[in-house]
Amino acid sequence: MMLSPTPKEKQSRFDLLQLAAVLALIVISVAFVYSATAGSELGTHLAWHRQTYFRQIIWFALGLVAAAGACVIEYHVLSRWSVVIYWGSILTLVAVLIPGLGSSHHGAGRWIEFGGIQLQPSEFAKLAFILAMAHYLSRPMDELRQPKIFWTALGLMVLPFVLIMKEPDLGSGLVLLPTGLAMLYAAGAPAAYLRRLFTVGGLATVLILGDLLFAPQRWQVVHIHDYQKSRLLVYFGLDYATYAGREVSPAERQRLREKQFNASLNVRQSLIAVGSGGLLGKGWRQGRQNGLGFLPQASKHNDFIFSVIAEEKGFIGSVTVLALYAVILFTGIRIAGQARDRLGKLLAVGVVTLLFSHVFINIGMNIRIMPVTGVPLPLLSYGGSSVLGSLIAIGLLQNIHIYRKAY
Amino acid sequence: MLILDQLKKDDPHLRLLATVTAIGLAILLGGLWWVQLVSSEYYQQKLDIQAQRTVRIPALRGAIVDREGRLLAENRPNYNVDLYLEDLSPKFDAAFLAALRQTRTELARRAAEAAKQLGRKLTPAERKEFQVSDAMVNDLHRVTRYQVSSQIVANLGVRLQETIPFTEKVFERRYSEARALPLPVVRQLSATNVARFEEQSMHTPGLELDVQSLRYYPHGSLAAHLLGYVTRNEIATDGELAEYSYRLDDYAGKAGLELQFDKELRGVAGAKSVLVNNQGYRQSETVWAPSEPGASLALTIDLDIQRATELALQPKGRGAAVVLDTQNGDVLAMASAPAYNLNMFVQGLDTAAAAKEWERFGDTNSRPQLNRATYENYPPGSIFKIVVALAGLEAGTLNPRDTFQSPGFAMVGHRRIKDTAPPGPYDLDRALALSSNSYFIEQGLKKGVLPRIVELGRRLHLGEKSGLLPGQETKGIFPTAADITSGWSDSTTANLSIGQGPIDVTPLQMAVMTAAVANGGRVFAPRLVTRIQAYGAEQPSQVFPEGVVRDNLGVSKRSLDWVREAMVHDVEDERGTGHACRIPGFRIGGKTGTAQVEKNGHIAKGAQLTWFVSFAPYENPRYAVVVTVESGASGGLTCAPVARQIYQALREREAQKERKAGPKMGVLAQLP
Repeated sequence: MMLSPTPKEKQSRFDLLQLAAVLALIVISVAFVYSATAGSELGTHLAWHRQTYFRQIIWFALGLVAAAGACVIEYHVLSRWSVVIYWGSILTLVAVLIPGLGSSHHGAGRWIEFGGIQLQPSEFAKLAFILAMAHYLSRPMDELRQPKIFWTALGLMVLPFVLIMKEPDLGSGLVLLPTGLAMLYAAGAPAAYLRRLFTVGGLATVLILGDLLFAPQRWQVVHIHDYQKSRLLVYFGLDYATYAGREVSPAERQRLREKQFNASLNVRQSLIAVGSGGLLGKGWRQGRQNGLGFLPQASKHNDFIFSVIAEEKGFIGSVTVLALYAVILFTGIRIAGQARDRLGKLLAVGVVTLLFSHVFINIGMNIRIMPVTGVPLPLLSYGGSSVLGSLIAIGLLQNIHIYRKAY
Repeated sequence: MLILDQLKKDDPHLRLLATVTAIGLAILLGGLWWVQLVSSEYYQQKLDIQAQRTVRIPALRGAIVDREGRLLAENRPNYNVDLYLEDLSPKFDAAFLAALRQTRTELARRAAEAAKQLGRKLTPAERKEFQVSDAMVNDLHRVTRYQVSSQIVANLGVRLQETIPFTEKVFERRYSEARALPLPVVRQLSATNVARFEEQSMHTPGLELDVQSLRYYPHGSLAAHLLGYVTRNEIATDGELAEYSYRLDDYAGKAGLELQFDKELRGVAGAKSVLVNNQGYRQSETVWAPSEPGASLALTIDLDIQRATELALQPKGRGAAVVLDTQNGDVLAMASAPAYNLNMFVQGLDTAAAAKEWERFGDTNSRPQLNRATYENYPPGSIFKIVVALAGLEAGTLNPRDTFQSPGFAMVGHRRIKDTAPPGPYDLDRALALSSNSYFIEQGLKKGVLPRIVELGRRLHLGEKSGLLPGQETKGIFPTAADITSGWSDSTTANLSIGQGPIDVTPLQMAVMTAAVANGGRVFAPRLVTRIQAYGAEQPSQVFPEGVVRDNLGVSKRSLDWVREAMVHDVEDERGTGHACRIPGFRIGGKTGTAQVEKNGHIAKGAQLTWFVSFAPYENPRYAVVVTVESGASGGLTCAPVARQIYQALREREAQKERKAGPKMGVLAQLP
């Protein structure tokens, strides 16, 4: 720790409350990734070191190292490199889209391979975006009144957004919007701009959604993947058959209904899992939705990990998780308030908003408040990129805390 | 506090961020509260519906035993080889994947060929035709899982050395409708095949030996009409859960005691729930209500006597025989011919032999399902002369020693009734022994006799059911005191005096009558079931009292003695009509009868009903044996030898008992 400056006061250099919440979530994550995957892996005689939960432990270990890195290098230093990091991450996002470089699963090309390990560049791109955005917006407040600056900031957000949407990864793309907007707002961008942005953005969203959901096929301006469209239809509770139009045959209608039933399966099953958990849950590894395979097999340890926790630990368990996130988020806001400068504050606001968006979209998806999008639950979901990204984000918050204002 | 501090921040930006975050978390909290606490039950139910299948477990049906505890109806383990689909699912998947790969390769080859033929690259639309469609995937799944299963079944067939029918239709049906239940592939394995299976196929995944209980009647058709029969039952009984995902059936009694005591015999079905995974395969089972085996019935029937009675009766075609204990009314044997094999109702119609048996069962001429001992109206004919004699003796109008000159026929008004007995002088003894019609018509027409006949009939409960076998018993016909006061003619009295006309009886009623004459006048309510014993219980749950006296004849000992003596003469005299029943050293009293049967108002030729009613031993009567044969030659020729065979069996059985019990005199009927 030679790089770290000597503490100026008796207070702890770290935000210990937040670290405690992070550690608690890590423990919960390992326990429930184990619960979600042990059932199917025990039977296969997979060596212990190749089992999912163990890999998750490894990722956490790596993530903690990365977080330590993100927290020892003073954020000003990091910020100076932000342009490089930003464009580097944009490059990886482009690389994903190039066939042969990126690898695709379930029809979405989100991964890139580094020596046998697959990473999702979008997870890191989010942080790179926050860093670059904070760096860009930390200029004197007056400059933000210049439309050019404002639009450039928007451009910083739109570029990775478009690339991520192109993968396609709707969820990861969407979280960029609140994050960017919150940072613009916190940076003190003129309210008029923001209002206009909101109005135009909101109008565009309504138009696009309306077009997607209700317009006949040939009238559709925006094209998204079938599975994304079906997710949206499921979320809005719309009938596939109605959407298909009047001219479809009864057999086709039946097929569409069946397709819809299958498409809404994940949502229904996660709801059943969460709901049947009740107050106390069924106990660790006792979840039926989990154990009997009704929860989506491919994603119950990552995107649907919350369902597993909620089923096995009940309302108590899910509220505990929610409380831990509350601790992280509000200590994050506190860190933003105590930040030494605007850069620190904006970084913290970006990280907090990003984490909050993930938590809200993911848990919301598990209880059908939000549509199903592939957004991981920070620190709980299985997955190297998500774990690394989340821990680096925490590292950044701690970094800002360490170099906070001295009162 | 951390959260409140952030909400009260001076910095408006952070304050808004904190507020939005707090609201967001509150929304999630509210959502979780709604889903996990308010709607918890709803989702639990949904989970149960998709993950739980309730299965009914049939209860073991109670046994039926004879008076000594020998089994008449029991349950036999039936071995099936079952296919457990959940154990095969990895194989299904593997086979499917292999087939899918093959199909893909094949399609790719064809696509390449098509491209070559066209001399250009295929357009996306054309390429689509060479892609695996959803329908093809479904087909591949269906075909491969059947292939895997039928291969396993075929291998099993080789090891069991028999071909096992295994159609895709049956397999698919089970797969789509009840995947969580094992599919029986071989039913009713022979002992050899059970051994073969245990030796060679024990560890074949997916195959297991499964024991099922099957109703079994160890003696086939023995006491068929008493026991009744069972068929597979698919209807829920009272107090039972009506809705099961899967129902394993038990039996329902359809006739006889199986029907009468169905509730007791059946027991209470249990239930288990099977946890299934997302693919519908079985994961685990919990029995939440074990089944309770049914109670057993103990009968008054003696297996050996029953068998002997049936053996003696069967060659005679259609008929019935009843053996009663004269001292308490217990039914020792009750047979009706022809009988049917009880096991055919359980084992199904698989074999040609079973089909033949069914055909026989449904025959409208011999009507094997009819219990002729209780469920057929028969004119008693001459055997009713016993009652006429008693009535005359009691009225004082019949002096047994007085002789009556029979002209060989009887004249009632202008009607001439023929007599099979020759003309000549008759006293009571000779009249009974030769069964003189004219003698008894003369006696019956005497003043004060008819009311006594009617009164005796009432006390014998003629024209009434005994309640022995509800649902398969007829009342018979007998005039009441009111009937004889109006519209009654001497001609009818004459007919009644020789057991014809307005009188119909069942063999059981005649057995009760004979027993009453033999035991000094006690008219018993016949008993068939002695007790009901719950499964595993020490004490019976219900005991049916022994020797319930329904009525008393109210006839003097003297009169009875006269009749009994005359009946002994009927058997022991060489000219007696019942001589064919004689057993030296065992005194039997008997009376034959040959009644004409009216069909469509005419006396049917060759359709006469032959009877033999008897009791023995004369000194201390213990048994009443009644035999009826339809279209027999005559009571003496057809029925008396049957009775003789039954008595021989009874004596043999007594001797057997004595040997067992030591030197003490044993009476079969009184042994426990």
